Amino acid sequence: MKAVERIDQSYLLKQLPKATALICNKGTLLDASYSWLDIFGLPPQNENTDIKVAAFFPEISDLNQRIEEHKSFFIQHKIESSKGEIRHLKSYFAPWFDKKENVIGTIIQTDDITSEVKKEEEIKWLNNIIETKVEVSKTGWWEYNVETEELTWCKETKRIHQVPDCFEPTTIEAINFYKAGYCQNKVSMLFHKAIVNHKPYDAKVMLVTFTGEERWVRITGEPIIENGKAVKVYGTIKDIHDQFVAETKVKENQLLLSTLMDGLPLNLFVKDLESRNVMVNKSVCNYFNKSVDEIIGKNDFELYDKEMAQVFREEDLQVMKHLTPMLGKETVSKLHGKSTYFLTSKIPYFDLDGKVCGLIGMSLDITALKRKEEQLRNLISVTSRQNQKLISFAHIVSHNLRSHSANFSMLLEFLKSEKDMEERKRIIQMLTRASNNLLETMENLNQVVDINTKDSETKKNLNLKNSITKVLHNLTALLEKNDSKILNNVAEDIEVNCVPAYMDSIILNLISNAIKYKSPNRPPLITINAIKSKKRTMLSISDNGMGIDLNKYGDKIFGMYKTFHNRKDAKGFGLYLIKNQIEAMGGSITVQSEVDKGTTFNVYFNEES
Amino acid sequence: MKKVSCIFIVDDDPISVFGIKKMLKSVAICNDIQIFQNGHEAYEAMKDRQAKGKVIPEVIFLDINMPIMDGWDFLDKFISMDIKRHIVINLITSSIDPLDYEKWRNFKDKCPHLLNFKNKPIFKIEANDLGCMDIAS
Repeated sequence: MKAVERIDQSYLLKQLPKATALICNKGTLLDASYSWLDIFGLPPQNENTDIKVAAFFPEISDLNQRIEEHKSFFIQHKIESSKGEIRHLKSYFAPWFDKKENVIGTIIQTDDITSEVKKEEEIKWLNNIIETKVEVSKTGWWEYNVETEELTWCKETKRIHQVPDCFEPTTIEAINFYKAGYCQNKVSMLFHKAIVNHKPYDAKVMLVTFTGEERWVRITGEPIIENGKAVKVYGTIKDIHDQFVAETKVKENQLLLSTLMDGLPLNLFVKDLESRNVMVNKSVCNYFNKSVDEIIGKNDFELYDKEMAQVFREEDLQVMKHLTPMLGKETVSKLHGKSTYFLTSKIPYFDLDGKVCGLIGMSLDITALKRKEEQLRNLISVTSRQNQKLISFAHIVSHNLRSHSANFSMLLEFLKSEKDMEERKRIIQMLTRASNNLLETMENLNQVVDINTKDSETKKNLNLKNSITKVLHNLTALLEKNDSKILNNVAEDIEVNCVPAYMDSIILNLISNAIKYKSPNRPPLITINAIKSKKRTMLSISDNGMGIDLNKYGDKIFGMYKTFHNRKDAKGFGLYLIKNQIEAMGGSITVQSEVDKGTTFNVYFNEES
Repeated sequence: MKKVSCIFIVDDDPISVFGIKKMLKSVAICNDIQIFQNGHEAYEAMKDRQAKGKVIPEVIFLDINMPIMDGWDFLDKFISMDIKRHIVINLITSSIDPLDYEKWRNFKDKCPHLLNFKNKPIFKIEANDLGCMDIAS
């Protein structure tokens, strides 16, 4: 019976799925399951082998002593298979009792834990990676167990809070780290909502660290839901203070820049190397009457006409090529037919590497200023012209009157001491002559003063041809005496806005001059032409007379009392008078002449004023 | 009384000419007083005299403002003429323009003759106006 039982037991042992072996007190293998033998690479055994089990546990030197203590224990060890594979094993040792509680040996059970060990190693490795990641990204994590109300911080989280590694916070403590007021309330609310409403969150708030430093952090929280209930909240925390402060600074600077740009009474623009607008301010938009988007990315060829744009593009190239700023240049820009004067500066724009990447331009609208300047300049030119006239008139007056008065003084002095009656008579004759000369001069001067003071002399629309015919009629005797021929080519319908007395004086003087200075070799031929244009009418009187060397006398011909030919009736007053009359009406007179060929006077009547 | 071989009066104002002639009567004896209306006439006469070997005037009374050729232009031409004698030229003008005075000073420096500047009115012709050199003789 016993034998049968034993065989049965032994057979049973052999079949056990869990690797099991029995050894006697001397450490010899008595029997083992096939699975055990397989682990250690042994063939199936008969009973009472002489295999010493200790040989399979070379790492455990005190195995026999421990077995003799008759207590259960386990060891971890490994074996190398014949193929060189390493297997991790875990063996349990338990004392083997007989029915009388005597220890008769030891039971060994061995588990192959290779996969567990490998997994553990993997986890360790993953943890390492996470740790490294945390360190690099400076992102800490935390975990809250809803049921136990336990909060766990990782090392980085503690570092961010600037607490020692041993610090273990409660939820309330953790929330109190946020700045009292808005931040604290917000975190508290987000955390609550994560648990109750299962809502994840991501926020930027301010943390007051353990050492009292205020720092911006970004926090996230994610509830972990099981059976419709939040069991855990997992989250991260990242110190973004420096970045946040920098960002804020950038935003502030941007705001400052845009306020400055839009607030300045200047057209500000930034262009790239292709002269496309990169940035423009409000004034530019107002100038073009376009929105920012309609201007950005466009070049001047798309905003101005071609000619204008070409000028601007050349300026741009000059600035970007030679890196020399263009400062305070007066420019005129035409847009939709309207001219605007600008005081424009363009300076090269460099990127962070110091390479030119475009230009910054600013234009000040000086149209109003320019207009005022022009008015002022006109006023100055009118004033200086009048001043010049006054001075020259004063000269004429003083010179002419002086020469007469000098004559008077001299003659009177003679008279004082002259005894001879005949001589006295002669002196008195001379005095009369001097007096007459003075009167004539005064009369002439009076005429000129009249022209220059009575500028409101009424102008009338005069038919030019009629005016000429009238003067020619009055000159009939003179013309016939000199055998003169007149070619009057003036059209019937030309009308001139002119003071009638001046018109007569102008025609009379020019025609009588032409006869006075006729050539001794040929009868006078006078040609009269007129051309009317929108703004002015030109009257041209040409003769074939002796002419005058304008290179020699050009600047003097219209001067008072300037005569150039040896003629008794030349007084040097006619041309001076008509020049004054013409200019008083806003016109002008020019002369062309060639000696012994003839002279042409062109009179321009200004039709506007 | 000074004896002068020849005097030129260049002036377009007959009253001035009358005055100068009258004043000359009391200070100089001259049988050859020539009157010219302007610089051009005087210059032509001067050239003619030089060419024909006639007497060159010792004294010239010269007005500044004249038609055709004024006193300055005449002076310009006169200076460039090859005249050996030392001549007295009296510029006579009613002008008080500082520019004329300035011009005279410039001419005075480059003129080899004696050049006087006299503002009208003139009441008397001084010995100096006829050349002081000859007074000694």
